[in-house]
Amino acid sequence: MAHASGVGARVRRKEDERLLRGRGRFVGDIALPGMKELAFVRSPVAHARIRGVDIPEEHRAAVFIWADLAMDGVKPIRAVSGLPGFKASEQPALADGKVRFVGEPVAVCIAATRAEAEDIAAQVFVDVEELPVNADMLEAVKPGAPRVHEHWSDNVFLETNVGGAIAEIAATAPVKVTRTIRTARQCMVPLEGKGVVAHWDRHVEQLVLTTATQMPHIVRAGLSECLGLDQGLIRVVAPDVGGGFGWKGLLQPEEVVAGWLARHLDHPVRWTEDRREHLVAAANCREHHYEITAYADERGRLLGLEADAWVDAGAYSVYPFSACLEAAQVGSILPGPYDFRHYRCRTFSVCTNKPPIVPYRGVARTGVCFAMEQMIDAVAEAVGREPWEVRLENLVPPDKMPFDNVTKKHFDSGDYPESVRRAVAAIELDGWRARQTRGEPDGRLIGVGVATYCEQSAHGTAVYYGWGIPMVPGHEQAQARITPDGGLELRVGVQSHGQSMETTFAQVAHEVLGIELARIKLVHGDTALTPYSTGTWGSRSMVMAGGAVATACRTLAERVLRIGAHLLQGRPEDARLVDGCVRVGQASIPIRDIAHTWYRAPQLLPPDVDRGGLETTCGYKPKSDHGTFSYATHAVAVAVDPELGSVEILDYVVVEDAGTMVNPMVVDGQIYGGVAQGIGTALYERMPYDDEGQPLASTFMDYLIPGFTEVPHVRILHMMTPSPYTEFGVKGIGEGGAIAPPAALCNAINDALRPLGARVTDSPMTPERIIAAIHDASTSAAASTAEATR
Amino acid sequence: MTHSKTITLTVNGKAVTAAVEPRTHLADFLRERQLLTGTHLGCEHGVCGACTILIDGEPARSCITLAVACDGHAVTTVEGLDGDPVAADLREAFSTEHGLQCGFCTPGMLVSARDVVLRRPTADDNQIRVEMSGNLCRCTGYVGIVNAIRRVLDARKTAAE
Amino acid sequence: MKAVGFDYERPTALDHALELLARDDVSARAVAGAQSLGPMLNLRLAQPDLLVDITHIAELRQIRREDGTLRIGACVTHARLEDGDYDDATRGVLPAVAAGIAYRAVRNRGTIGGSVAHADPAADWIATLTALGADVVVAGPAGRRAVPVSDFVLGVFETDLQPGEIIAEFRVPALSERARWGYYKVCRKAGEFSHATGAVLVDPARGVSRAVIAAASGRPVVVDDPEVIHGNGCRPERIADLLAGTPIGGDAFEVNTHTVALKRAIAQVTA
Repeated sequence: MAHASGVGARVRRKEDERLLRGRGRFVGDIALPGMKELAFVRSPVAHARIRGVDIPEEHRAAVFIWADLAMDGVKPIRAVSGLPGFKASEQPALADGKVRFVGEPVAVCIAATRAEAEDIAAQVFVDVEELPVNADMLEAVKPGAPRVHEHWSDNVFLETNVGGAIAEIAATAPVKVTRTIRTARQCMVPLEGKGVVAHWDRHVEQLVLTTATQMPHIVRAGLSECLGLDQGLIRVVAPDVGGGFGWKGLLQPEEVVAGWLARHLDHPVRWTEDRREHLVAAANCREHHYEITAYADERGRLLGLEADAWVDAGAYSVYPFSACLEAAQVGSILPGPYDFRHYRCRTFSVCTNKPPIVPYRGVARTGVCFAMEQMIDAVAEAVGREPWEVRLENLVPPDKMPFDNVTKKHFDSGDYPESVRRAVAAIELDGWRARQTRGEPDGRLIGVGVATYCEQSAHGTAVYYGWGIPMVPGHEQAQARITPDGGLELRVGVQSHGQSMETTFAQVAHEVLGIELARIKLVHGDTALTPYSTGTWGSRSMVMAGGAVATACRTLAERVLRIGAHLLQGRPEDARLVDGCVRVGQASIPIRDIAHTWYRAPQLLPPDVDRGGLETTCGYKPKSDHGTFSYATHAVAVAVDPELGSVEILDYVVVEDAGTMVNPMVVDGQIYGGVAQGIGTALYERMPYDDEGQPLASTFMDYLIPGFTEVPHVRILHMMTPSPYTEFGVKGIGEGGAIAPPAALCNAINDALRPLGARVTDSPMTPERIIAAIHDASTSAAASTAEATR
Repeated sequence: MTHSKTITLTVNGKAVTAAVEPRTHLADFLRERQLLTGTHLGCEHGVCGACTILIDGEPARSCITLAVACDGHAVTTVEGLDGDPVAADLREAFSTEHGLQCGFCTPGMLVSARDVVLRRPTADDNQIRVEMSGNLCRCTGYVGIVNAIRRVLDARKTAAE
Repeated sequence: MKAVGFDYERPTALDHALELLARDDVSARAVAGAQSLGPMLNLRLAQPDLLVDITHIAELRQIRREDGTLRIGACVTHARLEDGDYDDATRGVLPAVAAGIAYRAVRNRGTIGGSVAHADPAADWIATLTALGADVVVAGPAGRRAVPVSDFVLGVFETDLQPGEIIAEFRVPALSERARWGYYKVCRKAGEFSHATGAVLVDPARGVSRAVIAAASGRPVVVDDPEVIHGNGCRPERIADLLAGTPIGGDAFEVNTHTVALKRAIAQVTA
């Protein structure tokens, strides 16, 4: 690469210093003069009519309910999809006459401290008339199920149908395998919960909402719609944000309430989501159910795939992604990285009495990969081949790239089969197979699993326009400004909450302008200071905002060259930018001096100087609107304890291709972190509900996320196929790590259990489920032995 | 009716006297009253480790320790480790090894990592993982943190030889 | 997630603590390291009027050997037991068990007395002290009384502690040179509460052969059947019998897990 700290350099992060000294500023760290704290009264039941909210007289001035907001014209949150047949839900920020999930906010209490606000909340009584509950999506779609929204005809937000005729393949395919597969409802669990500080800025006459969000501009748009305020009257600021993973990519009812209170009352307010609120009342994701059949020939070549998929979307449609994004995505991406011709998929976004689901890292891909990769292994078993060989048989080969798949996804570049070959080599499959044959001295069972996926990232306009949700990404903009002393300010509308953009965007700018990293400042997360953006989601920030930063810096580079050439008395076409200096022949002038000239000595500028000066805002889109396609193969070796049902990960390899890496250290970090979350999905994480819709986990004692000893030292191997469509050939990488682990681990566990005839199909793959599978296998084996001897 | 108590303790080397409600936990006292917001609350039930600080030099959970119980004791937060040589080595190593992303768990990680370095100088990677298992991170997948602690342990071993 | 309001006292003498705990005008509760009570306070599962912090009572922090007995004050922390700066009559059992309790930051504050008084069935000390044949010494308005730990724990979060009483100390009998100890707990994560614990002590010189099934959603089950410990009796059917009457007695998965935990603890002793 051209620059030691430009694109491709493993440089340390600019954001580390403050965070390592405890001097970051998270929303909970912000205290404003006169600020009061909020605590919410939440629904204790999953489905009920509210007969009344009893507020002790002495606290009446400190407690607000929906009627108070509605009287002031506050509107419910509406996130409507434009897809035909979508049923809209209205989510009032505080329940309006009815509650639809446990934890739904009913009233808000205000006091000097959170403890005192909770004291008041404990005295507010919600008088409810309970209604029958939809706690399970498969029950909720049955005729006669109680309706979550009574005026609907059923409990389905949206049904989609993708693909076409498959009956002929179904009738003639030599191999047919069918599975029922389920993924659990999870919580996203960034270490920092949500939080918001809201106040009315009397000077600027703006509502200032400082909130732990991934998408300040979208929160502003949503607040504007709910509060009936012009967007110009609202400023949304994201300070340091302690992880998001999707949970901070929505407009939350609590944000609407805090915004209204700050305008309605004469003092700032703060709400901090505590861990119990996070686990019980919010942040849900991932609950899928599949009935899926794969058709193949005798070698395992896929001939067709058909599936019905249900997603439990919870009680309301979240803003901006809506209740149908997850299921609709299932329909379009279930075919994965494979090349086959016949496909039919029907999806249902089901409405239940559980918290709304929000897209979580990987969104539908983690569930889709879990289902599809189980099918590949099932086909392999049916045709008697190694699963990785069947993958090679079906993956889109490099010579077909770019490739339009059966659902018209446009794969941009890469060598998918090679990622499988490298992963199988790196995990040293032969060694594990030999060990399986020998058997373990401690009686544990060895298994190896492989999973492959490709991941659309940085989705373009067409994709989101097609879903018709409240947010469609267009051109991403960045502002670049050379400061009077020759430094650089970058302003972007995406938000960095662990992704290291303060460093990586500086690397991009450095690559173009040569200004040293230490003198490049990224400003992000503030609607008042940055261009509009849909924010940080969908592994899009480096592709889109990084591309915009490069574009803006190139525009400035041209202007710098022009001024520099003039000052050096050369011709602009002979000028070059080298190491932060304009050179013409042997003569050289640093950008610092050019900046000085523009700002402080304009009498020296050429008469035809660009009047835009050393500041510009540029928009950017990749050459193709289809997004980039990163891909990876994960391979894992496990030991399953058949007595306890426990799983130990013995080795874990990721072979990934995210195109050009701007900072390999940061890319690795994203993958390590993603895999850890994927391991959580695979083995530990589940938000259980009882039949009454009561959540059965409310602390980290019962909702387990993986720690140091549950996550192995993952080995990462890189391939680097640049995207033909993006700046520098980068592709999105933020989510990928979390996609394949459940599939790879499931395949590994089933590989281990195969001698016992047992199989697991649902995540998380807990000891209970593994033991149950072993038990079922031995029971049915005994039954068939009895059958045979009869 | 509950009464506030006046407590006197040392916070990052300085004597502090304050009236506190007995129910106020140490983390809230540090964050809201002493404005030491480097101590983070990730769960408030003693599992995640983000609020780990030192009481009389030993790591403790500040979310399940009452401020009143610290009367007469010495508390050190991440802000108080600015000049601590082991913490300085760890900060350097965490940055080099990308042992932090969003940075929310980081103050607690540093306090626990410092304890591991001092108490388990010969720890291998597996022992590092077991000793650190009381601190959760949702971003890094732990690899960078283990590498950072390994780096500091190795450097100290080399320096001692 | 903030506690309800309460008062707080920190007596330095045991008698003073007992006086405070004897008050009948308020609901008073003793607290030591607060590592179990702290979360319950924050979650408002515990709502006391008065907390009596007993950690500054010097005698409760002592640990010393007296003839054949190790006397451990209620406020001795797990970390101190782990670090082993005492004449360990258990020949390494206490430090090894202590090291496996939660995490160091918790062990630095959490105490052996607090853990047993809290009586979470999954806790290590309940299983361990039961298997070691330890007594708990309880101090109260009527003086002191000693109770075998096996009788002290009555159920989930339920002990023989009467109103106004606190745990003063534990008396752990010394193990002989030939004593063998087995301990196995099933955790899905490091530091997590156990899902099934097996503890076994075989000390022929003292004629002791005792196994304990713990973390069984109730009081620990003491097994003195030599067939289970030394023979072929550690099988699900037998363990199901022993667990009959507990909340998990009819749960095949739980019975299996407890059988495996005990079997593996026994294997450490007989290997």
